Amino acid sequence: MEFLTTYWNLVPVSLAQGAVYSLVALGVMIPFRLLSLPDLTSEGSFPLGGAVAAAMLASGFGVVPAIAGALLAGALAGCMTALIHLIFKVTSLLSGIIVLTMLFSVNIRVMGKPNTALFNYDTLFTKLLDADGGTPMTQFILVGAMVLTVCGVLYWLLHTELGLGLRAVGSNQIMARAQGLSSTSFVIAGLTLAGGLAALGGATMAQYQSYADVNMGVGVLVIGLAGTILGEAIWGRNTLLRQITAPVIGSICYFQFVALALSLGFRPSDLKLLTGLFVLVALGAPILREKMKSRKRNLRLIGTGNRHKRGPVPEKGRIVR
Amino acid sequence: MSSDNIQAGLHVSGLRKTFFPGTVQEKAALNGVDFSLGAGEFGIIIGSNGAGKSTTLNAISGELPLDEGCVVVAGQDMQRRPAHLRSRHMARVFQDPMQGTAASLTIEENLAIAARRGASRGFRKGLKNVERDWFRTALEVLGLGLENRLKDRVALLSGGQRQSLTLVMATLNSPSLLLLDEHTAALDPRAAELVLNATLKAVEGQKITTLMITHNMEQAINHGDRLIMMHAGRVVLNLDHSEKAGLTANDLVARFHDVVSDRMLLNRPWNF
Repeated sequence: MEFLTTYWNLVPVSLAQGAVYSLVALGVMIPFRLLSLPDLTSEGSFPLGGAVAAAMLASGFGVVPAIAGALLAGALAGCMTALIHLIFKVTSLLSGIIVLTMLFSVNIRVMGKPNTALFNYDTLFTKLLDADGGTPMTQFILVGAMVLTVCGVLYWLLHTELGLGLRAVGSNQIMARAQGLSSTSFVIAGLTLAGGLAALGGATMAQYQSYADVNMGVGVLVIGLAGTILGEAIWGRNTLLRQITAPVIGSICYFQFVALALSLGFRPSDLKLLTGLFVLVALGAPILREKMKSRKRNLRLIGTGNRHKRGPVPEKGRIVR
Repeated sequence: MSSDNIQAGLHVSGLRKTFFPGTVQEKAALNGVDFSLGAGEFGIIIGSNGAGKSTTLNAISGELPLDEGCVVVAGQDMQRRPAHLRSRHMARVFQDPMQGTAASLTIEENLAIAARRGASRGFRKGLKNVERDWFRTALEVLGLGLENRLKDRVALLSGGQRQSLTLVMATLNSPSLLLLDEHTAALDPRAAELVLNATLKAVEGQKITTLMITHNMEQAINHGDRLIMMHAGRVVLNLDHSEKAGLTANDLVARFHDVVSDRMLLNRPWNF
């Protein structure tokens, strides 16, 4: 039972981490769910947000301009992906990979080096909490409030005329065009929004860990996806409110599982494997369940326990060996 | 034709479109299509598969770029306008019931989007409370009970219900032109009749200039003010209201042979 104590000690930290990553999860959910256009850019816009925020903080900018700068840079990255996808007719997945690869170099250029430490600078957490950057619990409350604000803005935005248009484009582009919605503009807007959110996550992460690294984005997309899928499994997605809050709830729960896995003795380096397996199971389970169902149905229709036992029915004029 | 007529209605001239030009699959889909519909006129296009009916409709709606030709709707030249900008002047109902509505949105959200067809959209509320009464009245006409299901997702509706909803969305704010692409063909007979009746009610009630494609000769004869028959990318028969009065299906079959001879029958397997 020792692992339970270990886990219990990890709860506040994992809550805070889950809250930070839920921003990325929102940035992953928008293209995947609202636009039906899978996008990998967050893997690059997340560290971009971290790099821009860190570089700006380190060169004396305030917290608000640094976060705004990160948001803008991420939005630009998302916009790039959309433009590559729309103008050069490259699939959205490949456009995202192209952009995130290019962003690796950009991120190093932005910081001037592969990583930037922020221990000696004011961050969101040192400004609003205490000089040490707060306790995990206060950090969780601060980031949680931020995430709730983002969710509120998203909820409002998706109920405006333009937001409704965005969802229509994601649901049916032919219908959208027939109703006067420019599908290309809305795809650009959606990916821009997603890029901005991922970068906001990156900027928050960099300040949370007082450290931005060019590799901080590795695996972040799958974490966001895991959070989204987990949240949808727990909480559903049949209303817009649920669809928006699912990534947040999922992300926080996901990091509870991570904490549990760590306290069971898994190494941090095992986590990517576990996360990948988890996403695989979550994506595959409905399909496997459907297959099992139709198999059972077939067996019932044939009326025997094993349809292979009957063997092939010989046809006239055909040699059956 | 009076100048008034040139302003209103639909005028199509010299539409030309060749698919896969310069390849072995080269296919001239439209070979100079000309016709006009007066304001409030209900035109019906018939023709065999591959005659160019849907291509004509897609060219008018802007989904398909033309090689040549001119489309004028309500006095506005549609040349080089993308589909979403043309939608200010025209509404469409598709053959596939899935294409006309956004499945993951609710009925009222779909209607709210349709209510703003052609209008500029901003950060105003996408669906106002006062609009719901308008939507309910519009849906009541169908008699399907959809007016009580405003908050249901469209994905929950049957094909016939979705097609009826698409029709209501298309006619909600009286478009200058209504394009119907065999919109009853994919439905079961009862749903097809229901959608057709709703169509006639809306088109006649609101005096909307309408262009409908059908494979159903009875529909073409019994309804509409103008009958246009297409073959091999051309208009081969264009009858106005008085000319088509007294026309029967048998006449039409005879005319079919008259106009296109046996070539049409021979061509059929290659005309997809």
